[in-house]
Amino acid sequence: MRRTSFPLLVASSLILAVLAGAETRPRYGGTLHVALRAAPASLEPSDQGAVDVVSLIYDTLITVDNRGQSQPGLATSWQADPGNQRWRFLLRPGVTFSDGKPLTADSVAASLRIANASWKVFAESGAVVVERGSPAPYLPAELALPLNSIVKRDGGKEVGTGPFVVSQWVPSKELILAPREDYWDGRPFVDSIEIDLGKSFRDQAVALDLGKAQLIEIAPEQARRAGIESRNVTKSAPAELMALVCARPSGSAQEQQLRDAFAFSIDRESLNKVVLQGGGDPAGGLLPNWMTGYEFLFPSQMNLTRAREIRAEVPHADVWTLGFDPNDSVESVVAERVVLNAGEAGLRVQLASGNTADMRLVRIPLASLEVHVALNELAAALGLPQPNYGSDSMDDVYIAEKTLLQSHQVIPLLHSPSEWAVAGGIRNWTATLGGKWRLPDVWVYP
Amino acid sequence: MDSAINRPVYNSPILKMLSSVLRLPKSSICVLAILLFAPHVFATDWSSPEQQLAGKIASSTGPGAFAVNVANRSSLSPSQAEEIRRGLLADLATLGVRPASADAAAGTVNITLSEGLQNYVWVAEIHQDSNEAQVQMVSLPRPDVVSADRATFPMTIHKTLLWTDDSRILDVALFSANPQQMIVLGAESINLYQFQQGRWQRQQSLAILHAHPWPRDLRGRLTLRKDHLFDVYLPRVFCRSTVTTPLAVNCYESDDPWPLGPAGTDVVTESAFFASTRNFFTGAISPGIGKQTTTQPFYTTAMVPREKYALWVIDGVDGQIHLLDGITDRTAGKLDWGSDIANVHSGCGRGWQILVTGNSDTPGDTVRAFEIPDREFVVVSQPLEFAGKITALWTNSDGSGAIAISQNGGTGKYEADQLSITCGQ
Repeated sequence: MRRTSFPLLVASSLILAVLAGAETRPRYGGTLHVALRAAPASLEPSDQGAVDVVSLIYDTLITVDNRGQSQPGLATSWQADPGNQRWRFLLRPGVTFSDGKPLTADSVAASLRIANASWKVFAESGAVVVERGSPAPYLPAELALPLNSIVKRDGGKEVGTGPFVVSQWVPSKELILAPREDYWDGRPFVDSIEIDLGKSFRDQAVALDLGKAQLIEIAPEQARRAGIESRNVTKSAPAELMALVCARPSGSAQEQQLRDAFAFSIDRESLNKVVLQGGGDPAGGLLPNWMTGYEFLFPSQMNLTRAREIRAEVPHADVWTLGFDPNDSVESVVAERVVLNAGEAGLRVQLASGNTADMRLVRIPLASLEVHVALNELAAALGLPQPNYGSDSMDDVYIAEKTLLQSHQVIPLLHSPSEWAVAGGIRNWTATLGGKWRLPDVWVYP
Repeated sequence: MDSAINRPVYNSPILKMLSSVLRLPKSSICVLAILLFAPHVFATDWSSPEQQLAGKIASSTGPGAFAVNVANRSSLSPSQAEEIRRGLLADLATLGVRPASADAAAGTVNITLSEGLQNYVWVAEIHQDSNEAQVQMVSLPRPDVVSADRATFPMTIHKTLLWTDDSRILDVALFSANPQQMIVLGAESINLYQFQQGRWQRQQSLAILHAHPWPRDLRGRLTLRKDHLFDVYLPRVFCRSTVTTPLAVNCYESDDPWPLGPAGTDVVTESAFFASTRNFFTGAISPGIGKQTTTQPFYTTAMVPREKYALWVIDGVDGQIHLLDGITDRTAGKLDWGSDIANVHSGCGRGWQILVTGNSDTPGDTVRAFEIPDREFVVVSQPLEFAGKITALWTNSDGSGAIAISQNGGTGKYEADQLSITCGQ
């Protein structure tokens, strides 16, 4: 990924300046209306559907910046003992939960123990100590994962230290948040955030057009049209991995050959053009090239000749079933095209629903901008063994990722961005490269 | 990852001082005599990673003739890529790997200059015989992007980069010509620097104690004083320094009004009350502008002296620009201005100008100079561009220029620039 050149920045500034017409310093007040596809049933950080809202209510000890580097969150400093198995985190003073009670090392330890049953976490002289069973050199970045948000569970109610507090919560339907006046990192600018949950892309687009939502998600296939319709569309880096995951390890050499043939048969360029409107990247690796710099080493080009050659070397091939989410329009199109591609290589694949398919189509967001944690989380989500790193170098990350791919259990397809449309009155809407929101910094212009 | 103490606290000590061409608006402004040394383009020594990769390649190939191809898919410029290519070929030759055409070579080495989030990643794919390609790799940290200034225009605003920091900068003041000294106001500390041996060296760091969380869009003002070194105004906090170095600073809770003009001059004596949990002034002015002691809540003001009165320009929270002359409060309407303005006494044109930030939604920002011949604003300079949003714009200590703080959209770092105006081309 090339950096934006300064002249380009200037040019775009000049063009868009004509469209703008408001002061630039943040304004306090107003309500931000958001529509989301996710419909979390709980506000627990472990609830995958709640990922987008978790950071509004809870904080983590550490955050990870857009360069993948750990930055202070609720912890202001940290230190590892030699061997990186025992870490000590000093807490930011003066932080309170939304119920007014102070953040303590004990409350942090209790929260982390619930999220990570195998960790030994305890308070020691006002600091939090984490002991792991094996070296954990990337623990600070792990602690930035939403799963490790600090939650105080008080009588069945979850309380956080985050920038917002829950005003109203209807599981899977509606979440209304109010800003915390005493938030340690400064009160958010808006007076309220109202989030409609479980809204389809289409419903979200209608809500934006009717002025009922100011921030919505855009389906990949709609992004280009939204841009043409002069909607203010922003997107993350292509961070979400779309891949095929095999239900079983490849038992025989012939099974591996057939999976190789399948991988060679897939026309990822066309998938990207058709499904993502060219907004993503064909994926040969698990982590995107903009993050690692080496993904191009893993082939992503369609090679039908090679696929047929490999297929011809195997006398018999069973019919595979491919599972996907029929309610996901992107997955449906991808699955259909992948089946066609496989047929051209002499492989027989049938679409299937349910969880009993031989392989399934998955979409996995990038969990972290720290490369090791990102790969670990991807491996876990794909059901692959945890990678081993000989050292801190990129060579070893490459080797670890190559080892995962050589298991023949996963076939990467695409890296796709998250895209949003933002109404005109919303200012300072930003997301991380990985697609995480920064709503406390948003303000609403009347 | 090493196990050393990681202390990425606010006002990180990882700092860089960059400078560019300095134009002094007045010869009498001795505090701006900054030594300038850093060119816009940094020469980078690639020899170490070149040797490292060449060594790895040679260990795989052994000596012999190889077809070597180098492709650049990173943000390195073509000239940099060419420089690296030449270096790699020279290092390979030293190790016995001679470049040859493909038909006369024992194998092929495809080198790709790539990059990730943090690093340049140089990858060599080595094809020998019919075996699977071997991959060798080196990575090296990517530097931050440095932006460059632009051309000049009739009345020209110049900027001189004084300081960059990972943490938020609120204000900067230069003082003492020999040796040159600088105070940098951050969110959690006040840092004093001295220009020594061609770079700014930190002399002291004074913590700012505050009982309440800072507002999200934190603002702060640093003013030099005649009877002691400086005062600092922050939401609900006031800090006063001692007189001599090594300095101490006494911070305490206070809602005292903030000075609206440079304290080093007697031109502006008005102060305004700051909303302690927000990012704007309440509109209450002390002792008042003529008979006017209140106006709309505002972000910033600028003052332009007239023959018998002073005209105040108020950049209001309501998005309107107000003109106060001591009697009337006239609305100039919604101009395409940003929230930050500051007056500058350059001596050019009508003597006084107002520097105004831009209001675009893009990552960058601009500052333009305006004059008010009568009661209409006239642009007197082309926009000076910034690679990020301006987060603070304050008239400097003696009123001759301004300090602009911006957050670079590419690097995320805060940059403090001294702004000055020169006359003519």
